[in-house]
Amino acid sequence: MNWLQRRVRPEQIRELSLLLLIVVAVIIFGSLIDGYYTSRTFNRIASSVAIITVVAAGQTLVVLTRNIDLSVGSIVGCTAYFTGSLIAANNGLPPILAALVAIALGTLMGSINGVLVAWGRVPSIIVTLGSLAIYRGILIEYSGAKTVTTDSLPAWLVDLPQNALFTIGGLEFRTMVVLAIVVVIIFQLATSLLSFFRRFYAIGSNPEAASLIGLPAQRMIFTSFVLSGALSGLAGFLFLARFGNITVEAGRGLELQVVAAVVVGGVNIFGGSGTIFGAMLGGVMIGTLEQSLFRLGISEFWRDAILGLLILLAVASDAVILNRLRALWARSDLKLIDKTAALPGAASGTSSR
Amino acid sequence: MSLTAGVGESRTLAAVPPILEMRDIAKRFGATQALEAVSLTLRPGEVHALLGENGAGKSTLIKIMTGVYQPDRGEILLAGKPITIGSAAEAQRHGIAAIYQEPLLFPDLNVAENIFISHQGRGAVTNWRRMFREAEEILAALGVSLDVRSPARGLTLAAQQSVEIAKAISLNVRVLIMDEPTASLSAHEVAQLFKLVRDLRDKGVAILFVSHRMEEVFEIADTVTVFRDGRLISTRPRAEVTPQIAIADMVGREVGLLKPRPPVAAGDLLLSVRDLCRERVFQNVSFDLRRGEVLGFAGLIGAGRTDIGLALFGIEPATSGTIVLNGQNLAIHSPRQAMANGIAYLSEDRRQLGLSLPMSVAANISLPVLSRFLNRLGLIRTSQENETAEGYRRRLAIRTPSVDLPVAKLSGGNQQKVMLSKWLNTHPSLLILDEPTRGIDVGAKAEVHAMIGELAAEGIGIMMISSDMPEVLAMSDRILVMREGRQMAIFSREEVTQEKIMTAAMGQALVHEGVPA
Repeated sequence: MNWLQRRVRPEQIRELSLLLLIVVAVIIFGSLIDGYYTSRTFNRIASSVAIITVVAAGQTLVVLTRNIDLSVGSIVGCTAYFTGSLIAANNGLPPILAALVAIALGTLMGSINGVLVAWGRVPSIIVTLGSLAIYRGILIEYSGAKTVTTDSLPAWLVDLPQNALFTIGGLEFRTMVVLAIVVVIIFQLATSLLSFFRRFYAIGSNPEAASLIGLPAQRMIFTSFVLSGALSGLAGFLFLARFGNITVEAGRGLELQVVAAVVVGGVNIFGGSGTIFGAMLGGVMIGTLEQSLFRLGISEFWRDAILGLLILLAVASDAVILNRLRALWARSDLKLIDKTAALPGAASGTSSR
Repeated sequence: MSLTAGVGESRTLAAVPPILEMRDIAKRFGATQALEAVSLTLRPGEVHALLGENGAGKSTLIKIMTGVYQPDRGEILLAGKPITIGSAAEAQRHGIAAIYQEPLLFPDLNVAENIFISHQGRGAVTNWRRMFREAEEILAALGVSLDVRSPARGLTLAAQQSVEIAKAISLNVRVLIMDEPTASLSAHEVAQLFKLVRDLRDKGVAILFVSHRMEEVFEIADTVTVFRDGRLISTRPRAEVTPQIAIADMVGREVGLLKPRPPVAAGDLLLSVRDLCRERVFQNVSFDLRRGEVLGFAGLIGAGRTDIGLALFGIEPATSGTIVLNGQNLAIHSPRQAMANGIAYLSEDRRQLGLSLPMSVAANISLPVLSRFLNRLGLIRTSQENETAEGYRRRLAIRTPSVDLPVAKLSGGNQQKVMLSKWLNTHPSLLILDEPTRGIDVGAKAEVHAMIGELAAEGIGIMMISSDMPEVLAMSDRILVMREGRQMAIFSREEVTQEKIMTAAMGQALVHEGVPA
């Protein structure tokens, strides 16, 4: 137990148990659904997970700073629709440029959120609840309730979801999934290694101490919203590729799935702790549930209710289980210190009083 | 290191050139002159203790040194060169760091990252292996054993302070300010902390040490400076000071600024408190209060005086002991119950806990006893509410154009009078006043004092918690002194002096009720 405690942190136990839960869920669904273990199921779940995960990576940065971005669903919808109509009008647009347009549009929408939260000092839940409605309103107004259709899109985009970059044991890893994995790896490395990204943790963990050592809290909060917007823009592009037919309803309700993924993935909703990798695992859990429950013929409303229940359970377990684990760890740390303190020469305990 | 070689008790510091000099510093907040012409010199390898009553200006000086406040006047010299300290980060760049009673760590970051968080030249990419190794080296040099990979959450206060000291060392601090670092530590932890402080001193760090514990100051300090009312009163080598001299400097103001309240013939016994305790907050507090008597509560901030008020009013109930009010044995568990028994409590925190600032004067006054102002349909009779408020406005001379005005529009003194009206309207027999005149102007202060005298004359028993020494001396019939949750003494009006109060508040000698031991 002591060896285990030296090497594994309570937070990692949480991620491991989530992985276990995913496996259990897959086994249960496999026994309930005929033909569940097929590459078709894998691809369906994987492309759903890819979109959720890319958005969840940005959301994680926002939540780390003690904020929340509820507008991600609307940003995904807007970027998917507007990029889609742009490509429909200019079929010759290079793929990279098209993706960059989507990211730029998302960045713009994210920076509006960021300015209002960081410098306008409006609580993020209010700002992004407002922009959720406003961005969706802009989409409905400017689209004239028309739909981007698959027919109007060039072949490269329509085929993108079916393009496999490589195959492992019959499972195709398609472009979208690989892209999501790359995003996770980049942001996981950044948040664990770059001192700039470590500031997100510091600011969320103790804002008072952060300001005392001169960390630029406002700029960091702004940055988190910009990155959340940019990644939502990228996800909008993936959304466009995956579905082809984009209505004004595109991405509606995605914020619920994303927040669920982040929270289930162990990111503390009160800021300061959690990892991108954890959020990805949360995304896998949510995506698996979403697609599998759909296959079981469970209505959309019940699926949302289950997501809501998961959010509540995750936050509750965070409060109870993680605190217990931490207490257990702290106690073993104390024992360790007692042992080293008992050694001659270590930690002086001489009292001069 | 050469500083300490063979010096021992008679460390001569005057020869060492100063590292930080504060010259002629002044700072004013509104009507309060927080600091006036203060000049303080810190030398490398010196532990410089700062003593003074609450509000003597110690915190203000620290905040100027750490860049939180800017001085109105005066200059700051670091190693002989004038500097400005515009922010906490800038202070850190100058090598000035502060450790507070409650360390400011990042609970979610691990110990190593907490130590190195504010390193400007840490590099863009974190080398965790190196950071862990260097953190371990620093902590090992301090003789502290902590897992540098575990998060700071859950560390004991003493361990957190070790991390703060490690942080200061890693930043190569030249001036370390320690603001009451021992207030929540056990004796063993204090001994360990002092070992760290001596190590730092021997490395040539200048340490400014603020503490209310006299024995600690005399154990660790090389130089002792006393502040009083925003002025520097004395700076002496430790060998030339005794606790008595220091206390005399701390309280040595001219008495008689306030006219003593004419004594009132005390009435029957109103309140009898025996062995009142609240775990880890205060212990074994016992006192009697008669009708028409003012019992002053003196002591330093954090001595547990406010907590006794909160316990009697049922906000944070006592865990053991007896309270007998009007001959009735009471176990008070809620403010509602306290009010029903004729107890009123004026909070020291007027803006947060005392008043509803956006509501009108009249609404604030009627709030605790709103049921008295309801008509048969359960609606508020505004006219009666306004009439009552008008009565108090005249009686207490509350300066407001109308009782309909929101309380937020009134001055501090008038807000205090509204709060007093609100509680008088509950017709209390026991009135607990917590810092009744803090932050209000001289005129309003005199009016509140006159009102306290009138209320006592009407037969209300008054407990007055105050950090304003002249006020306590002028208003009280008897004075109870507390220190770190313990009752140190009760003095009668005839025998009390400022020195006696401060001696008891600083824990110099335990004095039993009325009779100095």
